[in-house]
Amino acid sequence: MGAFTPTRQETIEDQKLYLDGRLREIACLDCLAKVKVKKNSEHHTAVQWSDEALGHCTEFARLSGQPGGRPVYESCPRLMASIDRAVTEGELEVGAEDGY
Amino acid sequence: MSTATTEARALDHGLPPARYARGWHCLGLADTFRDGKPHRVEAFERKLVVWADSEGKLNALDGYCRHMGGDLTQGEVKGDQIACPFHDWRWGGDGKCKEIPYARRVPMRARTVRFETAERNGQLFIWHDPEGSAADLDILPPEIPDVLTDAYTPWSWHTKEINGSHCRELIDNVADMAHFYYVHFAFPTSFRNVFEGHTATQYMSSKGRPDMGSGGYGDENSTLKSVATYYGPAYMINWLEVDYKGYVTEVILINCHLPTSQSSFTLQYGIAVKKPEGLDEKTVNYIAERYTESFGTGFLQDVAIWENKAPVQNPLLCEEDGPVYQLRRWYEQFYVDQAEIKPEMVDRFEFEVDTTKANEYWQAEVAENLRRRAEEGSTADAEAAATADA
Ligand code: FES
Ligand SMILES: [Fe+2]
Repeated sequence: MGAFTPTRQETIEDQKLYLDGRLREIACLDCLAKVKVKKNSEHHTAVQWSDEALGHCTEFARLSGQPGGRPVYESCPRLMASIDRAVTEGELEVGAEDGY
Repeated sequence: MSTATTEARALDHGLPPARYARGWHCLGLADTFRDGKPHRVEAFERKLVVWADSEGKLNALDGYCRHMGGDLTQGEVKGDQIACPFHDWRWGGDGKCKEIPYARRVPMRARTVRFETAERNGQLFIWHDPEGSAADLDILPPEIPDVLTDAYTPWSWHTKEINGSHCRELIDNVADMAHFYYVHFAFPTSFRNVFEGHTATQYMSSKGRPDMGSGGYGDENSTLKSVATYYGPAYMINWLEVDYKGYVTEVILINCHLPTSQSSFTLQYGIAVKKPEGLDEKTVNYIAERYTESFGTGFLQDVAIWENKAPVQNPLLCEEDGPVYQLRRWYEQFYVDQAEIKPEMVDRFEFEVDTTKANEYWQAEVAENLRRRAEEGSTADAEAAATADA
């Protein structure tokens, strides 16, 4: 039940597809963080964090200790490397399905 | 690719929310309210009255007097209070009636709706929450270093009424990579979103379209690096670095709005330009005016689309589109009770758009437009010459 209420059942299905479709769990090779990732192409990446994963990320913890705190735009380079690795190892498939 | 026939897709217009967003809303430049007069502000389907007390502190109350409904925005500031034009009841910034000059005492229940106020970057903010929570000062937008000093031009501030659209249309822009080419005449060469907590950010590099002359986002001689963050539902700070023929200018653009109904809002934008070293005041002001003009044009380009489009609850996306569903999920946190905020509305989400294919196509399209124009130009020249000959 959302604030902007869909009027069609199919919209709920669309929301599931675009929000959760094909997300794969990827574990960081350097810390305990596990995130959900989708890669539609070599250059595209979607990363869904959870509060728990954020708490595990040592790189983010280090950045948070800086004056001014962690810059929100910064990705975790270790996690990004782990994602690349998952692609090379064939654990994470690259490619889109009909636009999602 | 399969060519199986699929059913025609229906647009789900959805139903607008039954409330207005929780969060800080900017009313404009704080000093404009400090002229000793009551000011009228339309927001959240209400009329508000805003005034400064004798110390310059700004107050915001519901605009209608709780006595007999007099319009406080047409009243008078008397001391620290706003006096109603109908029977002179005096209302304080804390929402209580302080005095009824003709009465022995003030009824204890004489209390009206008040909005907590705060100032940031020379702008006035009010806290709005349909649940009536106390203002959350921790999530006020940040102070922008040096912006009120001589290092920047003073805010150039503008207001525009938008009718026929819910303000979420404006928010959707955050994730909309391709509209920058079609609506704002710029090539986004890189495009990234990060949503986390109460912030949503767009990172974009772009350059102007050479076939369009100067539009909202600059011409072919300029490249733009832009970081634009929403702090809460209605206030965005956009840090821009414009490189014009190797000459870099830092511009700060504020983009904020006040919802006035579920299908209208007041858009406000403000621009401050970091004064380039070694330029005289006149040149600096000229530069600031040009940027104000061009970003103003940028908003008008969006408005033309909003005024004619349909609301869509079920956008159909392609691979090159930004994460509009995730953006809307983030935005929804402001429309539910605080206890109803789901983790996924505030969890960090990163999305890098692949702009490769789009840029290939756009480069070719622009080249073709320029070629055709040159050809038409030379035909026109030849015709003109022929006419002149005859
Ligand atoms: S209505 Fe305001 S004083 Fe009577
Ligand atoms: Fe736009």
